[in-house]
Amino acid sequence: MSARMIEQPWQRWAIRFALFVALAILCIPGLWVVLTAFRPNVEIMARPPVWIPQHPTLDNFRRIFGLLPAEQQGLPVADYFRNSLVISVTSTIIAILVGMMGGYAFARFRFRGKKAMFLGFMLSRTVPGIALSLPLFIVWSRLGLIDTKIGMIVIYLAINIPFTIWLTDGFFRQIPVDLSDAAQIDGCTRWQAFWKIEFPLARSGLASAAIFAFLTSWNEYALAAQITRTTNAKTMPVGLMDFTAQFTVDWAGMSAMAVLIIIPALILTFIVQKHLIAGLTFGGVKG
Amino acid sequence: MRPRFKALLLACAALAGGMSLAHAQEGYGKFDGYTLKVKLIGGTQYEKLYTRIPEWEKLTGAKVDIVSSKNHFDLDREIKQDIASGSISWCVGSNHTSFAPQYGDLYVDLKPLIPAETLADYVPATLKASEVDGRLVQLPRVTDVSNLYYNKDVYENPDIKAKYKAKFGTDLAPPKTYDEYKQQVIFLANPPNLYGTAFPGKDEGMTGRFMELVRANGGDMFDDKWNPTFNSPAGVAALQWFVDIYKAGAVPAGTVNYTWDDIGQAMAAGTLAIDLDWPGFAAFFNDQASSKIAGKVGFALAPVGSSGKRGGWSGSHSFSVTQACDNKKAAVSFITFMTNYDSEMMEARAGNLPTRTKVFADVEKEFRDKGNTYMAEMFGTWEKSLETARTPPLIPQWIEVSNVLWPQLQAAIVGQKTPKEALDKAASDAHDIMEDAGLLK
Amino acid sequence: MLRSPRAIPYLLLLPSIVVIAAVVLVPVLVSLWSSFTPYNLTRPATLFTFVGWRNYQRLFANADFWWAFGRTLVFVTVALNLELVFGLALALLVNRVTTGRKTIRTIMMFPMMFSPILVGFQFKYVFNDSVGILNNALFSLGLITRPIPWLVNGALANFSILAAEIWMSTSIFAILLLSGLLALPQDPIEAAKVDGCNPVQVFRHITLPFLMPFIYIAMTIRSLDVARAYDMVRIMTNGGPAGRTELLWTLIARVGYQNSQMGMANAMGYVSILTSIAFTFYFYRKLSLSRRYMGGAE
Repeated sequence: MSARMIEQPWQRWAIRFALFVALAILCIPGLWVVLTAFRPNVEIMARPPVWIPQHPTLDNFRRIFGLLPAEQQGLPVADYFRNSLVISVTSTIIAILVGMMGGYAFARFRFRGKKAMFLGFMLSRTVPGIALSLPLFIVWSRLGLIDTKIGMIVIYLAINIPFTIWLTDGFFRQIPVDLSDAAQIDGCTRWQAFWKIEFPLARSGLASAAIFAFLTSWNEYALAAQITRTTNAKTMPVGLMDFTAQFTVDWAGMSAMAVLIIIPALILTFIVQKHLIAGLTFGGVKG
Repeated sequence: MRPRFKALLLACAALAGGMSLAHAQEGYGKFDGYTLKVKLIGGTQYEKLYTRIPEWEKLTGAKVDIVSSKNHFDLDREIKQDIASGSISWCVGSNHTSFAPQYGDLYVDLKPLIPAETLADYVPATLKASEVDGRLVQLPRVTDVSNLYYNKDVYENPDIKAKYKAKFGTDLAPPKTYDEYKQQVIFLANPPNLYGTAFPGKDEGMTGRFMELVRANGGDMFDDKWNPTFNSPAGVAALQWFVDIYKAGAVPAGTVNYTWDDIGQAMAAGTLAIDLDWPGFAAFFNDQASSKIAGKVGFALAPVGSSGKRGGWSGSHSFSVTQACDNKKAAVSFITFMTNYDSEMMEARAGNLPTRTKVFADVEKEFRDKGNTYMAEMFGTWEKSLETARTPPLIPQWIEVSNVLWPQLQAAIVGQKTPKEALDKAASDAHDIMEDAGLLK
Repeated sequence: MLRSPRAIPYLLLLPSIVVIAAVVLVPVLVSLWSSFTPYNLTRPATLFTFVGWRNYQRLFANADFWWAFGRTLVFVTVALNLELVFGLALALLVNRVTTGRKTIRTIMMFPMMFSPILVGFQFKYVFNDSVGILNNALFSLGLITRPIPWLVNGALANFSILAAEIWMSTSIFAILLLSGLLALPQDPIEAAKVDGCNPVQVFRHITLPFLMPFIYIAMTIRSLDVARAYDMVRIMTNGGPAGRTELLWTLIARVGYQNSQMGMANAMGYVSILTSIAFTFYFYRKLSLSRRYMGGAE
């Protein structure tokens, strides 16, 4: 495609160089955290600075898992990880299903209040978490959802459904109605027509909605910090705060935990990024 | 039921007086099958004590369910949410003297529940500071007050000492007054690798450091009618002190954005000559694994201000029992156990200031016997400063007042306002807060 | 379509509506009510005292609030526009590369893996004046002799939180715009080249107009969740020093939770909600217009 345009060698090198610089800027602050995770604490705050780790160590990881002898018990990182995974995956899957239903309704039906409802879904996302947090807490405590995974899953559903509706709406609009109609004439029910014709075509859109939903839930802090309290439901980003006490912040431990948060997200993104881009291309715009 | 329990505690107190703790154990009652829900402050410094929980469980047959464990500010927010939503389903909460007045009648008065004989073992001033409107709403577990840590690499460096003597005609030694403190930190600063000192430049930390100096200068935050008085000459002089050392570059410019952890880290990294700080840092500074100045840390009493007094800002971490608690006896038994002699010895061995009078002497002796003069000296120094230390005003509006004050202090420190302008503005805002609260007399 | 009973679309939307009502609508109504009360967190009974517009009157007379409000507007506007420019540049660059695509695109999305709270800690450390890596690097390169107080000086502190926000969110723009570039039809470009257009002209007259809807999508998405920046700013400066980086979100959190004045905080929250609705609505309208332009069905 565009890369096929006629380029001088110097142009190609200039582009590569510019790209390298850009990616370096994106990576370095993050990589620094990763590097810190493998340093002993004295080296982190050293003055003059120590650039390359002199004594690389896995102790920070061992410590948060409580594997170092002669130290107090580690943090319940395994619990946090499990909670994060359960909450993010479940809420992503349900958000995709529920959002897809909504997107289909918007794409294929005419009904009263359609425009207002669509806008309403979008605007529900504009409410800042900080303004929501207390009333949400009060409502949730009445419902007994404080410090439960279900409570968090429902919250993340509400955050992720609007975007999913939007993306899938665009996708379904793009699939000609004739296809589904033809299938229905051939004896399929509308339900069967949906799963056989429309769903497969919308798959990459769903994949990109899913990765956005997953990353949002995986990284969300503000509301999780309000609603979760113990290992029942506490997620990884909330667990980061375990490294801050009144007088101290344990940078090394925090960085080690950060690495544990980043890696699954990175792997997942790497795997699905092809669908992600394809999904975004057609989802939001045409339609 | 109460009298019997009282009798038990009385027995306990009597025995504890003789320190035969093995026999005192039956004093904690029996609560077989009961589950006590507690909210405790988290963080390594505080969690060591919780290893004693299984022991209490064994003694009493009860179970402890830690329903929350967070740092102080998050815990505060959570407790407020619980009050707001009317979901106080727990019995014991970690508390702090600065925060306690905000919680209204969330917590019970412990005086009728704990025999006077037991309470007599606590440091009287600490216990007094744990009261709000005459109600003992919390049982103190560790006390905080600040004194000076100094880096011996700097203070005992012959070169620096000679230059200091040549310039000021006196020997370089840890400062006795705030004026001397200022003179030294300005002289010693050699950025970027060494600063004179650093101070917490935001949140309650900034307010507290300022309050200390106001009091040391003979002023105070409020008069007895609750009019803000921190914009008095004593207050302006206090703020000027911070402005001066900031302007002179004796502190890192980022200090206005620092909190305790940043300062502790900077001291441990050897980039500060002297540091007015909490007792909990003593062990941290002397730990080879985390500190570059291990083995080179000296202690000195906090300096005095222009009134010749120390303004010591104290506060205590504590445990409280909720009104809503369905088994207050178990809860009181728990918090008494968590602050008993053995518990307090454990806190003290970890470098925290205990709240029982006897523990001070005992732990100091224990450290000395083990040859750890460093920690022994720490307790000696800190105990002396406790006598004159005071808490911030114990009113629910304290944090709110602090929140209108510290941004103004910052504004003056970074040169955006004059100290007088800044303090007048803060005092007028604080006046409104006190008026709205109906506290003004 | 007409064969289907009228209830079907509503049934399909029901689960979404229930969830949004529970998580957003009900709390928003509670907070609307509380903004007309002197609601204090530690005195729950105050939730039932109606004081009319008092919170709003006090708010509108409060200079600190207006500073925070204005600063938030500027912060959001500058951040979104710079993210757009950088995101577009990044997307154009990445689009030119043919080798190692999967890896390069993953690297491009690297900051999206970072929780905002983590970004806050990370950049607080980067910009720390005495141990931060930025100053350390400048020292090591011999560019400075005195540390630069990144998080203190008014201009620098705002620059620092902007830099962190841009670092965190440029990737989102880049990925959305890249997907637009990949969908770009090649024929008009080839034709324009044959007609002797230079690359700048091609970009201006063909690529950019085609990308417009993608740009509006990206803007809409980002204006929806720009308040994520709160977690980050809270860790980095929490509005300080001397209120120089105070944004609405940090102010609301302090008034609401530390000062316990939830009624007042929710009044501020409402001003913030209405503002972000205005922002989103604006981009959404633009988006609808350009969608129509792209030939989509209404």
